Amino acid sequence: MLILLAAIFILHITCICLLLAATIHNAWWMTDTMSTDIWARWILIGGKWSYTEIPGHYPKEYLQVVQASSVLACIFCILGLFVFVAQLYTIPKGNRFLFTGVFQLLAWLCIMIAASIYTDIFHKDKEQGWYGASFILAWISVCLTFISCITYFTLRKKLA
Amino acid sequence: MLSVLALTSMVLLGIASQTTAIVVYTSWERHALVGTDVRLSCSFFSWQWTSPDVTFSWHYRPDGAKDSIAIFHYAGGAPYVDNKGPFRDRLEFVGNPSRRDGSILIKNVDFADNGTFTCDAKNPPDIAGRPSHVRLLVFEKVPVQAGVITGAIIGVVLGLLILIVAIYYLMRFLVARRVFSLSMSKHGKKGKGKEGSQQKCTSVLAVADPVKLKAAASEKKKQESRREKK
Repeated sequence: MLILLAAIFILHITCICLLLAATIHNAWWMTDTMSTDIWARWILIGGKWSYTEIPGHYPKEYLQVVQASSVLACIFCILGLFVFVAQLYTIPKGNRFLFTGVFQLLAWLCIMIAASIYTDIFHKDKEQGWYGASFILAWISVCLTFISCITYFTLRKKLA
Repeated sequence: MLSVLALTSMVLLGIASQTTAIVVYTSWERHALVGTDVRLSCSFFSWQWTSPDVTFSWHYRPDGAKDSIAIFHYAGGAPYVDNKGPFRDRLEFVGNPSRRDGSILIKNVDFADNGTFTCDAKNPPDIAGRPSHVRLLVFEKVPVQAGVITGAIIGVVLGLLILIVAIYYLMRFLVARRVFSLSMSKHGKKGKGKEGSQQKCTSVLAVADPVKLKAAASEKKKQESRREKK
């Protein structure tokens, strides 16, 4: 039972780490000299990486929606961790962790919105380049938060 | 007498020729962000009327270079834009020579456009004068990309969340209090049927304090689980 508890805890913390990495690290799309993302763009000029602005031809509203929903996913996941700990001590025996599950569900929804919009809207022309680390982490977080959410909805509190 | 007259007339002529020197005005420095358009303004002051043969010419000297190249020339009522140099297809004449304005617009500036631009204006017969320089500095903006929509979405969603949680707890609290106060008023009115109402009272009280009951139960559970875990 303790092992299960530890595994769920580690899963949740992994979700938080992946979400934070995907949101903060500017590497959703990369080329040899450029690493760009939802906040800014790193360009390799003269052997040095410079922090520059995302160009103006990006569709602004979609970019801001991706920013907002990835930040919201992080917030919901972190809040879910605290709610999980609180529910662990307060709910009666035999009840499910519904409140925590709701938070994880919201986090899953938000990061799925962010990843889907980014995949569908940006870099659709045949530009040179490939999807970077943050993009992959975002999609992995989609899967992990979904698993976490299902876990909380089906798990019942038992005494160790 | 004649020599004094000659001298004064020469001095006057000298002063007059100085006053007919043309004075060209530009900014001292212009700052621009990479990728934006920048307007370099140039105008002149001259004692003569604006002639139809007025000319403007712009030269460009990159930072660190020794020579300057010509990039723009306005003469005979027509602008001539550089179509071979570094500013081809990026330079536009936006001035109004009849109003003594010889400004140019450089589109989509880049770091390679850092340098000194020189404007030279001539207003025949007023041609003696010094050209004026304007220094162009191209900057990167420190990105502040999170815009209004981002903040609005985050704020609204979090606000809704807090509102829903607050309303949930408020409803629970109000329902409990309402049932409690209802039972109290019943107890106050029916002074005679004490026992019956007392029984009702206690049962209602028992129902009306779910929060306290839950807390008591969870305390028990907590202690149980702790004991069992140990």
